[in-house]
Amino acid sequence: MSESLRIVAQHLDRCFSEDQLGSPHLSSHNYRVHPFSPNYFRMIQSIDSESRMAFVDGGNAEIAGAPNFSIQLNRVYYNIFQGQRRVQPSRLSQRVQFISLTFANFRDGEIFFDTKIVPMNDEAEGLLPEDGDLSFSSMDRRLCLGGARADISRVASIARRFAEWRLATRVAEMELHSGDAVTMDGTLRTAFGNEAKYGAKAYETAKASDVIFSGLSKSSKLLTTTGLSLLAAVDRLAHESGYIGRWRYYPVADSLSPEHEAAIFIVRLHEQARYVFRYEIQAEQAKKLGDERLDTVLSQLSQNSYDPSFAGYPYGLIDAHIHARVPLEEVEPCRALLLSEVSRLGSWQKLNRQIRSGNAHSVIDALTGVSNR
Amino acid sequence: MYRFAHLADAHLGAHRDPIMRELEIKAFNLSLDRCIREKVDFILVCGDLFHVCIPDLAVVDEAVKKMRDAVDADIPIYVIYGSHDYSPNSTSIIDVLASAGIIRKIVDWELVGDKIRLNLFLEPRTGAKLTGISARRAGLEDRYYDILDRRSLEREPGFKIFAFHSALDEFKPADMSRMESFATSLLPKGFDYYAGGHVHDRSDNKLPGYEKIVYPGALFPKDARDLERTVKGEKRGFYIVSFDDEVRELEFVEVSVFDGLYIEHDVTDRTGEQANKGLQAKIEVEEVNGKLVLLKVAGQLSQGKTSDINFQAIRRQLLTAGAIHVEVNRHGVTSKEYQVITISGENVGEIEANLLKENIGSVKTSQPKLKGEEGLQLSKELLRMLRTESQLGEGKRDYETRVTTQGAEALGLREELEKK
Amino acid sequence: MSTCGQIIAGEIGKILIRQKAGERIELGDLLVVDDSEGYLLLQITDLIYGSQVPQISRELIAGMSLEGLGGGLEFLEPQLRNYVIASAKAVLSVSSKPHAPKMLPEFFGSVRHVSEKDLQFLSKPMNPMYLGKVRSGSKVLDVDVYVDGVEALTHHVLIPATTGRGKSNLVKVMLWNMIGQGKFGVLVLDPHDEYYGRTGKGLKNHPSAREGLEYYSTTAPPGTSTLVVNLSSIEPDHFEGLVRFSDVQQSALSLYSSEYGEEWIENIMRGTEVKGVQKVTLTVLQRVLRTTLALYFDGNELRCRNNVFSTSAGEATIASIIAALEDGKVVIVDTSRVGDEAELLIGSIIATQVFERHQLYKSTGQLEDKAPVSIVIEEAPRVLGAERLETVGPNIYSTIAREGRKFRVGLIAVTQLTSVIPREILTNMNTKIIFGNEMASERRAIMDSAAQDLSEDDRNIASLDMGEAIVSSIFTRFAVPIRVPLFEELAERETSRSRPSQKTVLIG
Repeated sequence: MSESLRIVAQHLDRCFSEDQLGSPHLSSHNYRVHPFSPNYFRMIQSIDSESRMAFVDGGNAEIAGAPNFSIQLNRVYYNIFQGQRRVQPSRLSQRVQFISLTFANFRDGEIFFDTKIVPMNDEAEGLLPEDGDLSFSSMDRRLCLGGARADISRVASIARRFAEWRLATRVAEMELHSGDAVTMDGTLRTAFGNEAKYGAKAYETAKASDVIFSGLSKSSKLLTTTGLSLLAAVDRLAHESGYIGRWRYYPVADSLSPEHEAAIFIVRLHEQARYVFRYEIQAEQAKKLGDERLDTVLSQLSQNSYDPSFAGYPYGLIDAHIHARVPLEEVEPCRALLLSEVSRLGSWQKLNRQIRSGNAHSVIDALTGVSNR
Repeated sequence: MYRFAHLADAHLGAHRDPIMRELEIKAFNLSLDRCIREKVDFILVCGDLFHVCIPDLAVVDEAVKKMRDAVDADIPIYVIYGSHDYSPNSTSIIDVLASAGIIRKIVDWELVGDKIRLNLFLEPRTGAKLTGISARRAGLEDRYYDILDRRSLEREPGFKIFAFHSALDEFKPADMSRMESFATSLLPKGFDYYAGGHVHDRSDNKLPGYEKIVYPGALFPKDARDLERTVKGEKRGFYIVSFDDEVRELEFVEVSVFDGLYIEHDVTDRTGEQANKGLQAKIEVEEVNGKLVLLKVAGQLSQGKTSDINFQAIRRQLLTAGAIHVEVNRHGVTSKEYQVITISGENVGEIEANLLKENIGSVKTSQPKLKGEEGLQLSKELLRMLRTESQLGEGKRDYETRVTTQGAEALGLREELEKK
Repeated sequence: MSTCGQIIAGEIGKILIRQKAGERIELGDLLVVDDSEGYLLLQITDLIYGSQVPQISRELIAGMSLEGLGGGLEFLEPQLRNYVIASAKAVLSVSSKPHAPKMLPEFFGSVRHVSEKDLQFLSKPMNPMYLGKVRSGSKVLDVDVYVDGVEALTHHVLIPATTGRGKSNLVKVMLWNMIGQGKFGVLVLDPHDEYYGRTGKGLKNHPSAREGLEYYSTTAPPGTSTLVVNLSSIEPDHFEGLVRFSDVQQSALSLYSSEYGEEWIENIMRGTEVKGVQKVTLTVLQRVLRTTLALYFDGNELRCRNNVFSTSAGEATIASIIAALEDGKVVIVDTSRVGDEAELLIGSIIATQVFERHQLYKSTGQLEDKAPVSIVIEEAPRVLGAERLETVGPNIYSTIAREGRKFRVGLIAVTQLTSVIPREILTNMNTKIIFGNEMASERRAIMDSAAQDLSEDDRNIASLDMGEAIVSSIFTRFAVPIRVPLFEELAERETSRSRPSQKTVLIG
């Protein structure tokens, strides 16, 4: 075993080298790439400002599923910070919860995955995606893996993403003022079907309120032309160029696609940070922002990233993540209630057959003592 | 070497029965005769020389005659009050005799600040220093001991005698545990002789700091308990103490004025008639001639009343057989058929005390002195006062006034009475 | 009272409460959850840290801070993310009538500190025996804690505590409160002479000491009685369970007693022969009596080395002590200059007589009118320890512990070691006033025999400070945490209320 791993380690070492960073590699159709340059670095200043930043995140977990349906418990949440200080929202409820039922529907010679949204609280009104926007072909390339039909549970999670856009939009409209910013978890790329509609609405609202719309990704699969992780390459470049501490790197690439109207930054938000992140600002807004305003936004973001539990990552997003996640302990009682309702309707047998067709692996897992979650 | 006689509890006048009264004064006379014969340097009487503060003058007359003999023989008689022969408000016989020069009271005290200072009396012939504290009713003199300036007494040099008329906790007889007493530690330490009175049993004791604590006992049995103990063998008399700079010898002088006979009879499970017959048979075989007989009957009759036993006849039988005096103790006789009140006690005094104790709690009053222990002692005192007989020549009104005044004094209502 | 926490989880014996930032919740604190019908009283049994930050991160952050590497990093919203979780048990549900809790409080219910008003149900019983004030954590509330003295004393009291926790102070406070009431007779065997107050403040300073207190000592200060016991007061039975005699020796004792009555000891010491008793047995008995009673001959006179026992004095001492106890007085017997065995013997004589008298009272229907009598015994394992009872046999104290309740005779047993006392005796001691104890085995023994479920109170008991205690009694609705007042302060306060001075009139 150890000999095999030694071989692997040696090969890994030979796989890529940091001697040549290369250039950012994104799809040539959709992006105009900027080669790496130390000139693109700028240190993040500490700027006192009254402006605030809202953070939005969502979570979901499957209550019950089968190859032809998936029922998810969804949650989206936001908070507002002024630097390190939390600000109490005044009008909009912070948490929105809903259940989504995604089910297979055969029409036009195709299997479509349609979704029905059911709100769980009154506050959800006006904050939920439309059922009609959540219909996808099961063979949609963007959803499939390999050539196989898309996994319905993956499709089911799109509702949550749309709800995040919706909530971010309402936050920008109702809770933030001119000069404030809203940061979503993840990129600003609108990958799925009608997601662009939600994105556009969000930008429109933000623009009208003079609120900066942004997104920060915990991870990135972007690479360079030399096979390095893009984030790692930029980090290495910063180190070589003497940029120690808090900095931003921009531009990485210009987006040419309407599906991704974003200016892409790489940021290091704290001196002690061990991670750098991909940060995006709505493209049009980014163009119009002067350095001063940009510095202010990044300063606010950086000030919120001082928490030692994850130095360099915004605390607002940590908090949003905690409040938005749907833990297993919450899902189980929902599942029990659902199955009870189903039994009452006399549909248990029918449903169970469907479920069994897709969960044999969980039986094996149980036999081998592995949790199937 | 000097000598003094230590007497106490003569209780002259205690007995109404002429025989007993005669014996009582005889015991006293014999004691003083012995003192005169022994040529003691002084006589110390530690309380209760008389049974009441104003006794029958005939008794006083007899006593004074003998005391005069002693005084004439150049033997001074030093005295402290006892619990019986003192009066809180009026003149006591002791005062009269002191004024007449027959006796001398040795208690000389004053309040200095909040302490009682006792001035020692220097006995002229022997140089002995005498002092003490007289008794009050119900042991109330212990309040004086609480505020006694002991230190000045303890520092006093020379041969010292402390006279007192109280029971001490450590030396009470076992059957008198409920008797009023106080702790020996209240007495000043370092005296050569502690001359006690009030306890009717003879004893010679010591404790660390108190070399000689002596009770001579009652000179003559005062009550049923005393009589029973005497008849059973307890010696009566007084002490002659020899001393120079310390006590050298303590000699008990027995004074016996009668032969006693103790007869005990158990009537348990007998009928009244059977008890009668049994008693008669028992006393028939006893040699009672010339003796003072104490007959104690006890037990629960199976049938009949206690009055079915003819104690009068028994008494007559004994007297006819030559007994000089008969005392019958029948308090222990009960009847299964007629159980009215069961009050424990072996003699009248104990029974009265227990009866009062059991009932004091039912007295509903806001006056603290009428409740609890204080109320109990007051009750006993009032009972004793109410028992006082009128004196010879004392009119009914005078008697009534005297008893009322004494009762009011005891209740602390003297002023209210005078207002009326 | 403002909110100090919120219920977040748990079960009826272990309710978890998150402490509000800035508030202080202590071990042993009494907290209240209000509901529509009244309120629920909780007591804190444990405190742990809670954090939204994973353990491993916290360790790293702490390391960075300690090593000077954490510059510029600080917890955002620390009050939200790092907090204290208090574990509490529900002790009493108070609505129209206080009762044992049978329901959980409302989930997420707010919790506040207890106030004096919440404890109004702690009323003063008819025969009050004062113990201290209610304590919540380390805070003392102005609410007095009493138990019914008649009930508590006849059902026995155990005071377990290690040295220096304040058990003597508690006994003094209890006795102070009892003096003058006349409702309970208490005999205190005082091996350290610490109760009377020979020097400094003590029970002698009580305003009613004259009427309600008696003190016996071999070195009696003025006004107190000398401890001297006549040998005639001692019977062979009084040695039972204190001195181990063989059957032959027991039988010899009986023979001397029946032959010589009250003078049996003197005759043994003088070597008077009795038919049926071997010389060797007589020699052993002489040695035992010589040692136990410190007897020796001074010429022809039999004396006692420490003057406690006498052939002439002290005839009425035992009877006087018993009379005082029956009159509802506190009687202190200073045994500090008396040997261990003699101390127990004196106690045995008194206790045996008290017990026998009360048995008689019961048979004649008089018992209810008699004041209950309790005996304070320090270092209780000397007479109640399992090993002692096994090797030497039962004694009057163990008899009282087992049967005394029926006859209104009780024990107040003070001990450092509870675990050595047999369980059946411990369970008979229905009031336990528990002080701090560092030894886990001792705490376990105490908790296992307590009147309430104290299984969660291990930490609580271990953390009790001097003067802090828990009253676990069948006569309290729950295990009440108390603070015992300092005796000197209590005495000072109560004696400073001066009595009107009485004029002294000299008569005689």
